[in-house]
Amino acid sequence: MLSGKKATRYAIALFLIISLNFFIPRSMPGDPLTNLLGEDISLTASSVQELRERMGLDRPLSQQFLDYWHDILRFDLGYSFHLHRNVSDLIYDRMKWTLLLSLPAMVMGAILGTLLGARAGWKSSALRRTQTGFIMAIYCAPPYFISLIALYLLSYKQGLFPLKGFYSTGSALDIAHHLFLPSAMMTLFSLSRNYMIMKGSVLQEKGSLYATFARAKGLYDEQILFRHVFKNALLPIITLLALDFGFILSGALFIEIVFSMNGMGSLIYDALLSRDYPVLQGSFLIITIMVVSANLLADLLYSYLDPRVRWQ
Amino acid sequence: MAGIKPGSGPCAMSECFCGDGKDVRGMEKECDRPYHCPYGGILFRKVSIIGLVLFSSFLLAAIFSSFLSPCDPWDRFEPYLPPGQDHILGTNDLGQDILSELIYGSRVSLIVGFGAALMATTIGSSIGLLAGYFKGMADEILMGITDIFLMIPQIPLIIVLAAFLRPSFWLIALLMGSLWWTSTARVVRSKALQIREMGYVQSKRSLGFSHLHIIVSDVLPNLSQLVMPKFLLSIASAMIAESSISFLGLGDPSMKSWGMMINFAFSRGGFINGYWWWYMAPGLCITIFVLSIVLIGSFLEERDESIMGQQ
Repeated sequence: MLSGKKATRYAIALFLIISLNFFIPRSMPGDPLTNLLGEDISLTASSVQELRERMGLDRPLSQQFLDYWHDILRFDLGYSFHLHRNVSDLIYDRMKWTLLLSLPAMVMGAILGTLLGARAGWKSSALRRTQTGFIMAIYCAPPYFISLIALYLLSYKQGLFPLKGFYSTGSALDIAHHLFLPSAMMTLFSLSRNYMIMKGSVLQEKGSLYATFARAKGLYDEQILFRHVFKNALLPIITLLALDFGFILSGALFIEIVFSMNGMGSLIYDALLSRDYPVLQGSFLIITIMVVSANLLADLLYSYLDPRVRWQ
Repeated sequence: MAGIKPGSGPCAMSECFCGDGKDVRGMEKECDRPYHCPYGGILFRKVSIIGLVLFSSFLLAAIFSSFLSPCDPWDRFEPYLPPGQDHILGTNDLGQDILSELIYGSRVSLIVGFGAALMATTIGSSIGLLAGYFKGMADEILMGITDIFLMIPQIPLIIVLAAFLRPSFWLIALLMGSLWWTSTARVVRSKALQIREMGYVQSKRSLGFSHLHIIVSDVLPNLSQLVMPKFLLSIASAMIAESSISFLGLGDPSMKSWGMMINFAFSRGGFINGYWWWYMAPGLCITIFVLSIVLIGSFLEERDESIMGQQ
């Protein structure tokens, strides 16, 4: 199970990140009221005063901090004056789509990436070297750029896929048709990262004594890889996957922007254009909490899977 | 040595953190790899020479932008010209020459990349060194901080901060440098943990040399081999991040940058109208530049590992 030390670290991390979210708008240049509400909102003098009171900005900072925590614990992330909705509702609506786009792709990318990466690290051949070169190029390209090219070639030129959005009629088939290309891009993006990690990991394990022993015992090549080496090489991947979760999720945001899909990415992009600070902050907070939970989950899974940790 | 070695192969870019085996696996293990030639030796060396050539040509382009570019990147000609004789890579919506924009754009990428990586490597190495060398309480606290920083999703945080502060590329480099150091810290720590147990360090300590002296004259020189590829790979990830942030329109409006060129092409209709040269060129530049750095970095890593293997 989770050791006390690790649990403390998670608790501190969460506390610091949520507190950071409190201090950012209040410490940045400009009026905190503007920083909390967003720019380009015309307010009369009386409503400014009223809002200032309602937001508690006239109270001492310590009191504001406590109020902020009170709100957070009730999932109240503020109100977007641009979109006239509660930020938590907005994020809830959009996050579903982002997860629909990214979670299956992450799983696919993890499976394909580790399998292909393990084989590439195990034995080198002309085909696998080409494959590594190709995946390395994807690994080095920004995800939004690859998506742009795919969108241009496959949707715009060939007309194989819709140009934008999550759905047009709303049937499951229609959604799948819309999701296919962005999901494939996400898969490639996550695959390339897992591929590189797994390849390195297998390279490390390959030279170890137990692999040599398995070979001496007369096992076939691929058997050694998948029966012995793969399991050991996979262990670090679990932690790495969790640490990568935030990065892959950020990648999903960019891919959504390219494909004009109404998920978190477009929400953040639009919020940036209109300087809708509450939405930006709420999104950051929720993404961070998700990443921290992913790490926690990986830690638990890890201690369950690795007997060396389990029996300590 | 740890199970997954510090920065194994090209996977060692900042976020993926091929950290020290201790944290990943909960235990340490000896390095038991007598021979190692993963990338097919000579071929890999050739590839890394290509990387070096590409990298130096981008470097030259950034330094001698004003000599190399055919026109001023802010000058206006006829808009939307496809690649042709007058403008080799065509022009954008304002009629600016894309080739000149590209050449000037390499500056921002390089400055942000180098600046952020320098800062991240310095912070990361110092924290890792202190944690690994002194162990105990210092290690607990410093690695606790590293773990927390490791969990913060960097791009969203930079987006939020850059939205509040008016964007400039110095700011973006500073933000990235202060967030990107975690993987270096973990790798350096695990190496420092090993070095402190080495005979020469132990004997110096027993002779009564100060910690500072031992760190400067014995530990640091042994870390440089490890830190150099880390530094290169941080440049690569900082450059990708910079282009992503510029793509969101948070770039420095007073400078040309590749990410911003793609952003303009995307948001001002270059995409819908099929002006592919407008966004293909900067995108390819980012990719090739990053690729060249990753190739050099992973070559250095492999070389160091094979040296270690022979010892």
